[in-house]
Amino acid sequence: MSNNLLEVNSLKKSFGGLQAVNIDNLILRKNELTSIIGPNGAGKTTFFDLISGFQSSDNGEVIFKEKDITKSQPYQIARMGMIRTFQLTKVFDRMTVLENLLFSASSVSNDSFSRGILKLPSQKKYEKELLEKSFKLMEDLNIKHMANSYARELSGGQKKLLELARSIINDPEVLLLDEPLAGVNPKLAEDILEIIQKLAINGISIIMVEHNIEAVMKISERIVVLAEGKTIADGNAKEIRNNPEVIEAYLGKDDE
Amino acid sequence: MKIDSKLIFAILLTSVSIYLVFVLNPEGPQRILFNLLTFAGIYGLSAIGLNIHFGWTGLLNFGHASFMGIGAYVTILLIPHAAGREGEVTSTGLPFILALIIGIIAAALFGLLLGLPAIRLRGDYLAIVTIAAAEIFRLLARDFESITGGVYGIISFSDALQKYRLSFIDNALENFDFSPAQAWVGLLSWVFIILTLLLLKRLNSSPWGRALRAVREDEDAVRALGKNAVWLKLQSFMLGAGIAGLAGVLLAFNYGSLETNLFIPLLTFYIWAIMILGGVGSLTGPIFGSIIFWAIISETDRVAALIFENANGQQLAGVRFVLVGILIMILMIFRPSGLLGKKEELLLDVK
Repeated sequence: MSNNLLEVNSLKKSFGGLQAVNIDNLILRKNELTSIIGPNGAGKTTFFDLISGFQSSDNGEVIFKEKDITKSQPYQIARMGMIRTFQLTKVFDRMTVLENLLFSASSVSNDSFSRGILKLPSQKKYEKELLEKSFKLMEDLNIKHMANSYARELSGGQKKLLELARSIINDPEVLLLDEPLAGVNPKLAEDILEIIQKLAINGISIIMVEHNIEAVMKISERIVVLAEGKTIADGNAKEIRNNPEVIEAYLGKDDE
Repeated sequence: MKIDSKLIFAILLTSVSIYLVFVLNPEGPQRILFNLLTFAGIYGLSAIGLNIHFGWTGLLNFGHASFMGIGAYVTILLIPHAAGREGEVTSTGLPFILALIIGIIAAALFGLLLGLPAIRLRGDYLAIVTIAAAEIFRLLARDFESITGGVYGIISFSDALQKYRLSFIDNALENFDFSPAQAWVGLLSWVFIILTLLLLKRLNSSPWGRALRAVREDEDAVRALGKNAVWLKLQSFMLGAGIAGLAGVLLAFNYGSLETNLFIPLLTFYIWAIMILGGVGSLTGPIFGSIIFWAIISETDRVAALIFENANGQQLAGVRFVLVGILIMILMIFRPSGLLGKKEELLLDVK
């Protein structure tokens, strides 16, 4: 088995005349915490959409766990173990925090229509396990007191936390985090960062898009810089910080 | 046990509206009441189906009438009937129960057929496609004159159901001016409501019901978590369409004739009004909504006649709909989430 988790070859996507993503080759390795940074409009979210199946590419291929997933549906990719979050948080507003977690934890066969009618004892037992699992996770993340609140009553930061909780409840292999710290207050951001680090230590490969550059530098093992859809730099925090091209395109001098 | 104030209010309002039927119709209120309850049962059943689409899954289905129509046409074409202006009664046909089951399945399959291309559309786009599909169905049914009897419709099919009529209905109605045949349809519609609600109560509290709610809230998130949102929506569409098909069959038997005019878009809008009145997403809401809706329809008729003594029928119909509109508006202002809907789950802010 190779150590490659995700491989992208000549991946292209354009909107009208705008080339949003144009990546020749990018290989992401297992058990690595990789961050993708770059200016607004660099194609970071589009890149996420392409590898998670939410948008189809114009050209190129995406290989995940040695399988071609270029044409796969989002739910198929998720079932292979790659779970993503969204830049604009997508929680189930009019469901409780607990229900959000239960739905995510529930297996596809448990959600089936026929089992919904039969309601066998085995399903009740399974649901009880899901309940325990959800409460355990809520306790770990310190959101147990919100279990019965509707998700739409939560603050922006709490929603980010809930979305993260929902994504990790089934122990995915890969986690794609789209700006997990955006709009989160400093204290909660620190907590979320700590959770992300813990997940990485526990062997989950993480790919993160984030603008909080300090946080990125602090926890990333590898940083990929995108600008105008292309990778302009790739390396560890120190290399990126001193890369003149990155400073020019993203980190900035005082010429804005 | 916690006393549910919403339920009490709904029961109170329903009782008041039924009481008003007695007040406004001192001579022979029973006939009007029976009629009201029959229509309320049939429309309520259909609204329960629509509630699965919109209340549970968030699908804006404005073609509900076509599901009712498919159910009615398939069932009735399979039993002995007479189609067209000079049609003779067909001598052969399936037993009613079998035809009914096939009719319900046909309505569900029509839901699948319509859903396959349309269900990927969001919000109002789905609404446009469904309303157009329902009209296409209605016009096609009208033009296939050799089968559906065209504008002349289908008659002489009631026996298939009425031969099962329980004799106590005829005895009970001896002293009332109300057709036992219609009472039988009304009774059946309420039996089907109870059976449907028992099934749906089970489903609503199941993981399947939870998955539909998740789809309603955010389809992308559902897909990102490894669940096939399209398939969930199709299942929801089929279940609701099947229930509508059943209601459509009852509607045809209630009239004793089947014509395409029954399934105009207005029927869909009535069902929508009933569902919203009762409370979107609530299980039993459509029942209360339906009784109150039909009470309003029946009473405004009387009130309009009392206010404008010299008006003719057509003028009264106009006044009546103004009153219906005003009353529904008042109810919605004071109960924006309907009688039994949860405020936290108010669904009228469709994305």
